[in-house]
Amino acid sequence: MKIAIKKGLLDMLPLNLAVLPWGILCGSLAIQNGFSALEAQLMSLLVFAGSAQLVAIELMAKDVSFVTLLITTFIISARHLLYGLSIRNKMVDKPLKWRGPIAFFLTDELFAFSHHHRAYQGKLRLVYALVAGFSFYLAWNLWTFFGIVAGQFLPDLTNLGLDFAIAAIFIALVVPGISNLPILLACVVSGLSMLYFKTVEFEFGLVAAALLGMTTGYLLQAKEDKS
Amino acid sequence: MITTIIALACVTFATRYLFLAKHLPFTIGPKFQRFLSFSAPCVLTAIWVPIVFMQNGELASNLHNPYILGATMAILLALKFKSLYITTFGSLAVFFVFF
Repeated sequence: MKIAIKKGLLDMLPLNLAVLPWGILCGSLAIQNGFSALEAQLMSLLVFAGSAQLVAIELMAKDVSFVTLLITTFIISARHLLYGLSIRNKMVDKPLKWRGPIAFFLTDELFAFSHHHRAYQGKLRLVYALVAGFSFYLAWNLWTFFGIVAGQFLPDLTNLGLDFAIAAIFIALVVPGISNLPILLACVVSGLSMLYFKTVEFEFGLVAAALLGMTTGYLLQAKEDKS
Repeated sequence: MITTIIALACVTFATRYLFLAKHLPFTIGPKFQRFLSFSAPCVLTAIWVPIVFMQNGELASNLHNPYILGATMAILLALKFKSLYITTFGSLAVFFVFF
C-alpha cells in the first residue's frame, strides 16, 4: 500500500510541478476578470479543467450567453469522453466509491498514467491512480491559490518554457510503449493531423486527431494479424 | 456566478463520468477495446506534438529551436532508459541550454 501511494505521488510529481504556470494563470486571470477569490478557487475545486477553465473565465468576463459557455466547455472537455470509454472495461465493475473519484480526477494527466494493461486492476492500482489523481488536484488548487493571492505581483510564467516539460513528460510516457509499427504510425498520424487541425483552428481537433490515429493503428494491427 | 461555476463543473464531470456509469447499457467488445487501446498514445502525442512544433500558433520554421532539440533528446532518452525522471529532466536540461 505504501509503495502504491509513493509511486502515485512520484509519478505525478513532474506534472504537478510543470502545470504551475497554468494553475497560477487560472487564479490570477479569474481575479483580473472580476471573480471573487472564492469563485476563482471554486473554478479549480469544482470545474478542475485547465484549458476549459481559462476559456470559460474569458467567456464569462465577456458576458457570453450561458448556452454558449456550456457548449464551449463541453467541446473542450469532449476528449474526456474518450478517456472514460478507454478505461470503461477496467472500471465499470468497481464500486461507486472508486469510480466517482477516479472519474472526477480523470484529467489528461491522470489518463496519461492509465494505459498499463493492468491499470485499475486490484486495490493497489486503484489506490495508485487515486493518489496520483488527487495529488494533481491538490497541486492544481494550490497553484490556483497562489495565482489568486499573488497573481498581480507575479510575471507571466507560462512563457518560461514549462510547456516543454509537459511535452517531455508525455514523450517519456508514450515513446517506451511504441513497440510495433501500428502504434508508431498511429502516433505519427495523430501528431501530424493535430498540427493541421491547430493551424485551421478546428475545435474538435484533439478528439479528431486521436480518432484518426486510433483508426490507423487499429487497421494496421488488423491487417498484420490477418497475414 | 456560483451557479454558473457549478453548471460548468457538471459539464466537465459529466464528460469524465459518462462512460464509467454502470447503468449505461452497452459493453465494449474485444475489437472496440483494441481500437481504444490506441487512445492513450494517440491523445498524448496529439498534445505534445503541437507544444514542440508550434510556437505562438505557427509551425516552427527553424529546426534548431530548443523545443525540437529538447524533444529529440527526450525521444532518445525515452528509448534508452524508459524512465520518466531521466527522460524529463535530461531533456529539460537540453531544452534550457538552448532556451
